[in-house]
Amino acid sequence: MTTLIKLEIIRALRNKKFMFFSVIYPPALYLIIAGGADSTPIPGTKLDMGLYYMVSMAAFGAMTAVLLGNCEQIAKEREKGWVRQLRLTALPGRGYVSAKIAAAATVSLPSIVLVLIAGAAVKGVRLDAWQWAAIAVGTWLGSFVFAALGVAIGYLVSGDAVRPVSMLCYFALAFCGGLWMPLTILPQWVQNIAEWIPTHAYAALGTAVEAGGAPHMKDIAILLGYLLVFAAGAAWLYRKDTRKA
Amino acid sequence: MTTTATTAATAHRAAPAPVVSFQQINKSYGAVRAVADMNLELYPGETVALLGPNGAGKSSTLDLLLGLRTPDSGSLTLFGTTPQRAIEQGKVGAMLQSGGLMDGVKVRELVGLARDLHPRAYPLDRILETAGITDIADRMVGKLSGGQEQRVRFALATAGANDLIVLDEPTTGMDVSARQTFWGAMRRQADEGRTVLFATHYLEEADAIADRVIVLQRGRVLADGTSAEIKAKAGARRVTFDLDGTIDRDTLGALPFLTSLEVSGRTVRIQSQDADATVHAVYGLGLYPHNLEVAGLGLEQAFIALTTASDATATTAEEAAR
Repeated sequence: MTTLIKLEIIRALRNKKFMFFSVIYPPALYLIIAGGADSTPIPGTKLDMGLYYMVSMAAFGAMTAVLLGNCEQIAKEREKGWVRQLRLTALPGRGYVSAKIAAAATVSLPSIVLVLIAGAAVKGVRLDAWQWAAIAVGTWLGSFVFAALGVAIGYLVSGDAVRPVSMLCYFALAFCGGLWMPLTILPQWVQNIAEWIPTHAYAALGTAVEAGGAPHMKDIAILLGYLLVFAAGAAWLYRKDTRKA
Repeated sequence: MTTTATTAATAHRAAPAPVVSFQQINKSYGAVRAVADMNLELYPGETVALLGPNGAGKSSTLDLLLGLRTPDSGSLTLFGTTPQRAIEQGKVGAMLQSGGLMDGVKVRELVGLARDLHPRAYPLDRILETAGITDIADRMVGKLSGGQEQRVRFALATAGANDLIVLDEPTTGMDVSARQTFWGAMRRQADEGRTVLFATHYLEEADAIADRVIVLQRGRVLADGTSAEIKAKAGARRVTFDLDGTIDRDTLGALPFLTSLEVSGRTVRIQSQDADATVHAVYGLGLYPHNLEVAGLGLEQAFIALTTASDATATTAEEAAR
């Protein structure tokens, strides 16, 4: 099982093209979106646009790499029959899911760090050392949730449907979680629902730290809950997958 | 009737518990019955070829056996337990026709993974050597030729001390010499006392390696026995001779034990279930055959004879039912 985790990480590092775009895309997007932002605080928060988008783009970028990356790769591996071959070994479902999450985490970490560097170097964001560290680690660990979701979607949907379904989930999660624009400008009832969406809790980890506090326990609990559900679902789908393609 | 000759199974009646047991197994995909009422038992140490035309149910049978699919009805056991359990215990190694390989890794790394996942793995060098891939161990998996990929798959299937090895069309994509080498590796597995089950449509492969041949047709077992028995069952002799003068097809067609008749020019080609009696009857007609040859039928002709006969029976039955 450890060999599989190791191999998945090696593969991710060897896949230079995917690595390059996954790592470059989030900081580039951050600089474009937060480019014209001034230092007026976002309504309902103490954060300005530069700060807000640094965290939400780090989260968005990490999610892009792990969610879409996993969906696509798994769809391809199922099609090629590698998963069938793997199912003829004693590998437990959790081993497979852990390996996929580990590989995704290898890609998401540098992309997160680059967004934070862009924030500090280009946008002049100033935070305490512990805040930088907490944001990086929190955003990285949070990306595991979406890596697990990627595995689950890769199994739930097959063939040509994978791309549209994963894109739909990806955009819906990004929008409803407030990664593209602060939800504080939307009606209260929308905000009440959004609180339970994993991406919202995900970005909230970082914004809580930026505001000078610790991440809220509620957000951590929500993310852990989703991680458990997605990972268990993915492991179960992997073991029961009996489709040929 | 063309159903099961259970000679091989009978010979093993006193033998230990079966490695594989199919009892009344059924599997349909929509309206297609891929496997129909299949009863099958494999015993320790047997080398068994699963033979059949495309769509006969070979891959479906192997998928069910390996637990990649679940039967609609019937009971299926491997080593007395479920396929899943047997695989987890490291008793089964399999090489799938549709089994892809992980890309982005080296051959050595992939075989290392198979070792790590096997409860009773062999040393890496030994696996590479057995499969004949020592020289390509440092190549990337995505850059291999079809035949090399097949050998890597074989390495994955033989990474540990399995009791049963299942191979689905293992020599597809190999040239003649690669195939010969591969057969050698397969035979060594059998010599070590393993049960080997392989699906193939290369009849020479079944003939050369298997000590038991199971012929599938439309998801059913059409024949089961040694390759000699299969040949005998199909009406196993071919009689060829030349005749002078005009050849009367109808007279020849009425010869006893005849299963097929072909006349081209002066040459007559006959397949017969009892060549002695057929030839005797030729003389009895007052004919004088030149260049008379009587030869055994290859497994290939036997196979064609068996499957077409079964198709004809099935068609007649369908027409009668209408």
